Amino acid sequence: MDTNKIDYAKEKVGYYKVLGGLLLLTTLTFIQPHMFLEHYTFTVQIMIGATKAWIILMYYMHMKGETLIGWTVVFAVSLVVFFFTVVIPDVNHFQFKEESHITSQAHIEVDYGHHTASHEE
Amino acid sequence: MSHEYVPEIATSRDGKQHEVQGWQGDFYGGKLGFWLFMLTEVMMFGAMFLVLTYYYSLHQQDFIDASSHLNRLLGGTNTVVLLISALTMGLGLLRMRTGDVKGAKLMIYATIILAIIFLGIKAVEWREEFEHGVFLGLDALQSGNEHSRPFGQILFYGMYFTMTGLHGFHIIIGIGLMIWLLKRINAGKVTTEHHILHFNIALYWDLVHLIWVFVFPYYYMIGAGSGH
Amino acid sequence: MSKSYLDAGETHCAIGHPKSVFWQWMLTIDHKRIGLMYAAVIFTFFFVAVFVALTMRIELFAPGAQILDGDTFNQAFTLHGVIMIFLFIIPGVPAVFGNIVMPLMIGAKDVSFPRLNWFTFWLYIFGALVALSSLWTGNGFADTGWTFYAPYSLNTNTNVITTLVAAFILGMASILTGLNFLVTIHRLRAPGMDFFKMPLFVWGIYATAWIQLLATPVVGITLVLAILEKFFGIGIFDPSKGGDPVLFEHLFWIYSHPAVYLMILPAFGIMSEIIPTFSRREIFGYRTIALSSASIAGIGYLVWGHHLFTSGMSDLAKTVFSFLTFFVAIPTGIKFYDWVATMYKGQIHLTTPMLWALGTMVTFVIGGLTGVTIAMIGADIHLQDTYYSVAHFHYAMLGGVVFLLFAGLHYWFPLMFGRIYNETHAKIAFWLNFIGFNILWFPMFIAGYQGMPRRYFDYLPEFQIYHQISFFGALIFITGLIMMFTVLIRAIKNGEKVGPNHWNATTLEWHLPTSPPPLENHTKVPYVDFRPYEYHHGEPVVKFNYETMQRID
Repeated sequence: MDTNKIDYAKEKVGYYKVLGGLLLLTTLTFIQPHMFLEHYTFTVQIMIGATKAWIILMYYMHMKGETLIGWTVVFAVSLVVFFFTVVIPDVNHFQFKEESHITSQAHIEVDYGHHTASHEE
Repeated sequence: MSHEYVPEIATSRDGKQHEVQGWQGDFYGGKLGFWLFMLTEVMMFGAMFLVLTYYYSLHQQDFIDASSHLNRLLGGTNTVVLLISALTMGLGLLRMRTGDVKGAKLMIYATIILAIIFLGIKAVEWREEFEHGVFLGLDALQSGNEHSRPFGQILFYGMYFTMTGLHGFHIIIGIGLMIWLLKRINAGKVTTEHHILHFNIALYWDLVHLIWVFVFPYYYMIGAGSGH
Repeated sequence: MSKSYLDAGETHCAIGHPKSVFWQWMLTIDHKRIGLMYAAVIFTFFFVAVFVALTMRIELFAPGAQILDGDTFNQAFTLHGVIMIFLFIIPGVPAVFGNIVMPLMIGAKDVSFPRLNWFTFWLYIFGALVALSSLWTGNGFADTGWTFYAPYSLNTNTNVITTLVAAFILGMASILTGLNFLVTIHRLRAPGMDFFKMPLFVWGIYATAWIQLLATPVVGITLVLAILEKFFGIGIFDPSKGGDPVLFEHLFWIYSHPAVYLMILPAFGIMSEIIPTFSRREIFGYRTIALSSASIAGIGYLVWGHHLFTSGMSDLAKTVFSFLTFFVAIPTGIKFYDWVATMYKGQIHLTTPMLWALGTMVTFVIGGLTGVTIAMIGADIHLQDTYYSVAHFHYAMLGGVVFLLFAGLHYWFPLMFGRIYNETHAKIAFWLNFIGFNILWFPMFIAGYQGMPRRYFDYLPEFQIYHQISFFGALIFITGLIMMFTVLIRAIKNGEKVGPNHWNATTLEWHLPTSPPPLENHTKVPYVDFRPYEYHHGEPVVKFNYETMQRID
């Protein structure tokens, strides 16, 4: 039995506020690639995602009121971040990068507006 | 479980009484246990995003090209559907906690319907991709034939079907859990006083939503500027 | 006569209230019975794997083929590894002693989710059966080694997929055990027992549970991805589609390295229980041992790359992993110094559990230090995938984890059964094990240094002498194992009966009213206002009235 007294009306308003925020961020997701920071689409998209995730975690999942659970989430996410930090730079500096069948792609200048029409749909 | 459990009392040497936490009727324990389970899902999907990023870092252009061909309208609709379903799920739990069991059930039904819509739209998407020849097992995603896509695109689509497939699998499980929850409510086993099951299933649904919050931009939006 | 948890009818069941003794065992949710069932099953699998190893040792006695061909040999070392790792050592101490002893040590009546515990046991059984079924279907057991490296694992036609599915199921069981123990330790400690009053075995189980929970899912999804690669060709491990086998290695070892800490941390917890009891002194450095367990659990996630030194990783990654691997040895070293300091000026009682603990100190130090050798990148280039690695990890896993598991068996035997085994016979069995173990494994360091590769079915004549010495050691070691288990199993029925605190120890599992313990554990949950290892002149300080569980000292 959880011990907090619930103010139904207040909570409900809170949920709708979060919904509004999330819908706004979703709209942002759709307009960003055409409107701003187009050369940084990947980073911006992930950051919008992370912001949405933060809001969901804090307010829908009520992590804001939790101490122990908050730290366990921090621990798990930190581990995942560590894996990324080590593995991704590592694969891009693979010792045999030039000879490898898999990694010997020339580093192409990424163009978010470029469309290779070399294959049929 | 939740019946007839009377907690023990331990007395310290100064005469003070301390209630002993038993394994029965431990709401916080149930909550903690479920959060810990969700951390395992974070590790699993985290590892899949690691795989995705691994290949994205090696084949950025291919990934952007492949992404530009995904159906953003359907994917975006699904994003909104799931968003609203997270709201309905949360409202359902709120109603349960404040005594409105009937209202809670209505919200659970609404969430189930939205979840089914999500799956339906996903099925349409996958069928569309299949008809374009882009599907697991078809030539475009094999190597060495005339339709073979470049490495980066094969890997993109391989992970696309894997991750949206596994995410969809979790939605199906979620629907199953919600149906079970309705049964438990009808049997009087889940009530305003004892609703840990409802609480945890709502958390689960938030997790399913959280995963999509990252899946959607990573797959659908990185190629969005390509004017498809 | 007072009832014990082993008596007929004295148990809680997941479904209903069965009358038959058989169904009472099958459906029991009592952590003590579940722990015993795990013990019976894992030791059975242990012996199967030991005999597979003996078969390999017989084959390797001389160069060339004697009783096995090359392909069967590959299946043999895979089977040995899969059983030992997934069916025996990873469930190992947590499944047996985590279940039986941990709740007793914190004054709880059971774990937080007893029915989940019951389900987890049967999930483990199911996974084990799936793994073993692959011996008799299709093209037989997998021949990839327990590491299942891509792309061979995706191309071979042996039962790799079945084993991957089994490993996934077994992984789920490990995760659920970890989850259960984490919630139990957070929620069910007796009033007054804060984290720094918990026995160190509980700290060990706690740190382990974090690894079980967070590391296992990574290998779980890796196995699922391998299965999807095999069936749907998603491409991520297939070089013909741009997939990278080194990615498989990263993902696999991100779990499998923390897994070895999962194995050793509860074992170190057992060491921390045995040393104070048989030195009749408070443990030295309680807080540092506790925090070292936590830090090993954390840092252990950061070192997996040392299994990939020869895979083509970037120089920076290699350096970082080498440094972190050296670093993670430090907390373990701290524990060893603390244990030795505990024994210094203590009254040492050389009982069988103490012998096993001391023996482990020798063998694990060898295992640990040889690990540090190969943490040096330059040395590892030469020693990777040789018998040096094999000797290293057997000294660490067998000479560390398993020896301490045996120590725990001898230590908590009177608790579980209310009887004691024949001390003399048990000690002889220890010496046979210890001597046989060293003769079996030590030559392999030398053979590996000279260049004998691991997992090789055949070898050059210059290595034969090492294989022959090892074989001789294996025979002594297996004799010791058989003798040890015979002594213990005999004592279950015929051992001399003993009281609840046979070793006159201090931790709560020894303060039960009857021997063996009652179903509901302590008569009443005590209030804990004492440290776990308080001795004064060799005698425990804290004494209880066992009816009221009030302190009477």
